[in-house]
Amino acid sequence: MNRTQKSAIFCLVTFLFCVVVMAYPFISIFILKSWPESFFSRSWSMIAYFVFIAASIIFLRKKQSPAEPDFDERDDLIKKRAVLVSFVSVWILLAAACIIPRFILGETGAIPVYVLPFINLGIFMIATLVHSVAILVQYGWGGKDGKG
Amino acid sequence: MAKGKLNNQVRRLRFENGEMTQQKLADATGVTRQTIIAIESGKYAPSLPLAFRIARTFGVGVEEVFEYEGEE
Repeated sequence: MNRTQKSAIFCLVTFLFCVVVMAYPFISIFILKSWPESFFSRSWSMIAYFVFIAASIIFLRKKQSPAEPDFDERDDLIKKRAVLVSFVSVWILLAAACIIPRFILGETGAIPVYVLPFINLGIFMIATLVHSVAILVQYGWGGKDGKG
Repeated sequence: MAKGKLNNQVRRLRFENGEMTQQKLADATGVTRQTIIAIESGKYAPSLPLAFRIARTFGVGVEEVFEYEGEE
């Protein structure tokens, strides 16, 4: 695996980790209607965080060979296409964010103001996810390459 | 737009040059091993500078490594 692939996997894992971490307070506040216990005040959570960061740095910095470049012309092309796909996904999600509430809430419906930043944040988080997935798909998920 | 296929002899030339590994060729040409794999399997057409670097590594002309198969 080269650095671009590893960076995409790192982004994907971090995104999924953030979703899991954010799901807990979200469920607590909006569904269970109770204030969540602090996740980061526990010592094991901080240790787990530092282990994750240390393992990620080693994973990202390890090269296939000492002479391997950080990226080459094919990596550049793949990254450009991934940015394009991500950009298109932002427009599709923005359009969906405008149309879907109208169908759910009707012409005169209203949504709380604090939902809007969540929608924007969600769109850009999904765009980041799409960017990582687009990179991995173009590399064939890193597992289809031949060996020689 | 005319569509053609770029055939290459990279794999054969690697084996003819002392069974050179993909990693060694990648290091010699300044690209990653994944790019060499993609070129060999025909999934990626390299730029002209990279095509010349590959040919020079094998000590042959670029037309001996890459062959364009398309409409005249």
